[in-house]
Amino acid sequence: MFFHNFKYSLKTLFRNKAMIFWTFAFPIILGTFFYLAFSDIENSEKLDIIDVAIIKNEEFESNELYKAVFKELSDKDNKDRLFNIKYIDKDDEKEAKELLDNEKISGYLEFVNGKPKLTFKSNGINETIFKYVTEGIVQSAYMGRNVSETKANLKDISRKNLSYTMIEFYTLIAMTCLYGGLLGAIAINQNLANMTCQGKRIATAPVKKWQVIISSALSCYITQILGVALLFIYTIFALKIDYGNHFFKVVLLSLVGCLAGLSLGIFVATLVKAGENAKTGIIISITMAGCFLSGMMGISMKYIVDKNAPIVNKLNPASMITDGFYALYYYDTFDRYYFDLISLLIFAFILIGISCIGLRRQKYDSI
Amino acid sequence: MSNIIEVSNLTKSYKELTAVDDLSFEVYEGEILGLLGPNGSGKSTTINCILSLLNFSNGSIKIFGEEMKPDSYGIKEKIGVVFQEVSVFDELTVYENIDYFCGLYVKDKEKRKEYVEDAINLVGLMDFKKFYPKKLSGGLLRRLNIACGIAHKPKLIFLDEPTVAVDPQSRNNILDGIKKLRDEGATIVYTTHYMEEVEILCDRVIILDKGKVLAKGTCDELKELAKIEEKISVEVNKLDNKYVEEIKNLDNVADVSYNGNVLLIVYEKGKNNLSDIMGLLKKENIKYNKIYSERPTLNDVFLELTGKELRD
Amino acid sequence: MIVFKAFLKILNKNKSIIILYTVILVVFGGINMNASDTNTNFVASKPNVMIINNDEKNEITDNFIKYLKDNSKIIKLKNNEDAINDGLFYRDVNFVIYIPKGYGKDFMAGKNPEIEIKTTKDYKASLADMLITRYIQVASTYRDMGNTDTELVKNVNETLAKQGEVTITSKLDTNKLERITFYYNFASYSILACLVYVICLVLSSFKDIKIQKRTIISSTNYKKINRYLLLSNGLFSLILWSLYVILSFILLGNDMFSKQGAIYMLNCFVFTIVATTIAMFIGSIVLNKNAINGIVNVIALGSSFLCGAFVPMQWLPKGVLRVAHILPSYYYISTNEAVKSIETFDKESLKPVCINTLVLLGFALFFVILTNVYSKKKQKIG
Repeated sequence: MFFHNFKYSLKTLFRNKAMIFWTFAFPIILGTFFYLAFSDIENSEKLDIIDVAIIKNEEFESNELYKAVFKELSDKDNKDRLFNIKYIDKDDEKEAKELLDNEKISGYLEFVNGKPKLTFKSNGINETIFKYVTEGIVQSAYMGRNVSETKANLKDISRKNLSYTMIEFYTLIAMTCLYGGLLGAIAINQNLANMTCQGKRIATAPVKKWQVIISSALSCYITQILGVALLFIYTIFALKIDYGNHFFKVVLLSLVGCLAGLSLGIFVATLVKAGENAKTGIIISITMAGCFLSGMMGISMKYIVDKNAPIVNKLNPASMITDGFYALYYYDTFDRYYFDLISLLIFAFILIGISCIGLRRQKYDSI
Repeated sequence: MSNIIEVSNLTKSYKELTAVDDLSFEVYEGEILGLLGPNGSGKSTTINCILSLLNFSNGSIKIFGEEMKPDSYGIKEKIGVVFQEVSVFDELTVYENIDYFCGLYVKDKEKRKEYVEDAINLVGLMDFKKFYPKKLSGGLLRRLNIACGIAHKPKLIFLDEPTVAVDPQSRNNILDGIKKLRDEGATIVYTTHYMEEVEILCDRVIILDKGKVLAKGTCDELKELAKIEEKISVEVNKLDNKYVEEIKNLDNVADVSYNGNVLLIVYEKGKNNLSDIMGLLKKENIKYNKIYSERPTLNDVFLELTGKELRD
Repeated sequence: MIVFKAFLKILNKNKSIIILYTVILVVFGGINMNASDTNTNFVASKPNVMIINNDEKNEITDNFIKYLKDNSKIIKLKNNEDAINDGLFYRDVNFVIYIPKGYGKDFMAGKNPEIEIKTTKDYKASLADMLITRYIQVASTYRDMGNTDTELVKNVNETLAKQGEVTITSKLDTNKLERITFYYNFASYSILACLVYVICLVLSSFKDIKIQKRTIISSTNYKKINRYLLLSNGLFSLILWSLYVILSFILLGNDMFSKQGAIYMLNCFVFTIVATTIAMFIGSIVLNKNAINGIVNVIALGSSFLCGAFVPMQWLPKGVLRVAHILPSYYYISTNEAVKSIETFDKESLKPVCINTLVLLGFALFFVILTNVYSKKKQKIG
């Protein structure tokens, strides 16, 4: 019986086109969009070689310090190269202005009365660096010696894996896990006499209600895991998403995440007295709100919530999943990961526990 | 004949409405029992209570001599139910649907295969095995609904208005199928508000209204209840009022009415009514087109008992 | 009239969808923005720096910290490693500097004490790195010249106060227009999603209603119904556009009362027309109501992600932008981006705007033709 129901439950799930779209295809499509949109953001935040211009008048030509510094900073073989400098003859000052207007350069340097003068179009990081380098030369000249001989003794102790766009994909996994709730809700609805007529039929058959519900739930769980596995395969191999180096911990977290999603679905389906569409709406709303708070629509949202109202994300299953992946990716220690994992388990067991009380009822006042 | 179901003093009330009111009846082995009543008379509620789907306020229900509880799996095994709503999975084909529901009862695969085929043949869905429910017409869908409920060859079958909104061909097919089931030894509880069906199908009838038993017995017994025995209608164009008065004085006549077209004479029990009236018409040389005699229907019984039509 | 009534009924049933997309627009496009900066002088970008000072109080270290405070934005986080690491990951802080115990003393003793840092390795972090390196270089130089603590502090500060002269050419406050651009870029998502969703639902419902009408009241002309349907869809689009324009005035205020503001509005209007034609096309090919939800999400999210409605265009990979040329949203958003940097309105500066608008209208025409061709074909088959 258990296997019979399990087999048919799987069949109905896989033939439910809407479910297949939302739990299998949609996360993959959304992941592709994320990838296309975010793949360049972090690169664009790295310091690029800055295009600038210098007007070559006599004052510049005669100033060896400036010439030397800018030559070094624009040297193609220098690994600390900062600038790509276009030297402009003093008669072509107009050209510099034009380049600036067309945003071909960030700014240009010109000596006026022995002092360097910078012209920019707007405020910005490139402008600030150009200004900063120029001031450095002014200051060196003031001191009368080149300060760059001394090196600052800085030791970088930052963690690796600083790619924050990964959070987007972690929320995506969280969303997929929680969308599994839709499947869970279907499984429960199918088996409850007060929800569907099929449920009435099952209620009159000589089968233990628990057996039917557990086997249906199991088939949902397996479907869910399959969906998440597909998403993992796609994100890892096609999108090159980095989940850190702890494969089994990633799998474990996904399994528990799916369980949390399933329990959410079971909980809503059992305890909310509403139609099937309303239940679907509630599960989707909870999922999307959870993903919003864990950074799907703006990565900093998770940080803001974590920092200012940590309790919210400690109760939010989407955030528990996202944070677990984040902990695996970014931290070497597993305290945070286990905290998230155990929170998820507690979340799932509380919801399932409450649902069990509701499901225990065998007879209804009205159907 | 033993009692398959015994319902005694069943009462089920929703907040303000009492749907079933102190209802008692029994179902005998091998019969088709018709539960007849207008919409909202408590037929489906009664069945749901018997099946232990609904809580009820009072009374007791015994099936096969045992008290029915949600976990009376031994009893449930022998029951088949066809609900009023079509309750099948859209994602499964005709065959798969029947196999799924049958599989909840029958564990042996070979046996199940045989049973499913039997059910498909019984309702005549041989050509639609691989169809999804959405592709089936209303009548075929109803047949599938029935097949799902009876495939496991239950001893006791509940059919809750299985023919609502079904075309005449499908209906005949369904009714034939039900008779076949009875002939194979099943006991059937059949609810409907179509009395023609009851008259052809049922061995015994219980008439329900407002959750109470109005009358029970075989069709003939019920008709006995009604005071009338025969109705004779005569199509006659012009009829003088004095003849109407004259007919009223004939033997056994309970009531006469004439609407300018049809003369309707209602008789109490008695014999030779038709020849009497024909004799009178001939004697007075009254021309008439058609004359026919009817036995009273259950509707007349119902009308007699409640003062309202059955089909409301 | 019956068409309008039915239209309103369907609209009313689905009002939650419209409200949802509007709320999303307000939340993301309207509120989540930095206050604008009206300064016309050059303002240096400042990195977000967190200082963890383990040194005792002394002049050298204090001055170092003061210098950092002046030249960067100091972030205060809980002084525990997890909070700091999180702050770095989410770029709340770009650079963390741990000043070791005895730093000031060791420094004056001629050593070059090691300073631990954590960095996000982006351009702001590079800037912070430059600031710190510069300070240490200047300070070391004065120390090697034999300065005492007090002399060193004075000299270092004097030296670092030497600045160059900077002028800025642009008068345009891009910051303000940045907000409007973001709002209108985001609106393309809400408009597309709302219109496709509602119009598809209406069309698929009418396919049923039409059949009913033909049997019930044969006097209602089939073509007339179609005309009314077009009219109601157009009216709905117009109302949605007005709603979003009014919202932009409420959220962005005075900045909208400008030449640029007018272009944003008109551009949005043209885009609404295109979105309506897209919706009509999809509505005519999609019959299944359940499929609409999925299609809306894929089309609206796809257009928005690929064309820069969510992530600004300049941050999108070049390849993505090339592909985005086939989507109408690209031209709509291009215009918004172009308007942001227009200072003087002349033929030259408005040329890209005009081209984009023409392309958008071309898209609208294309979808109208496509819809007609499709429905004609279907009539023949049916």
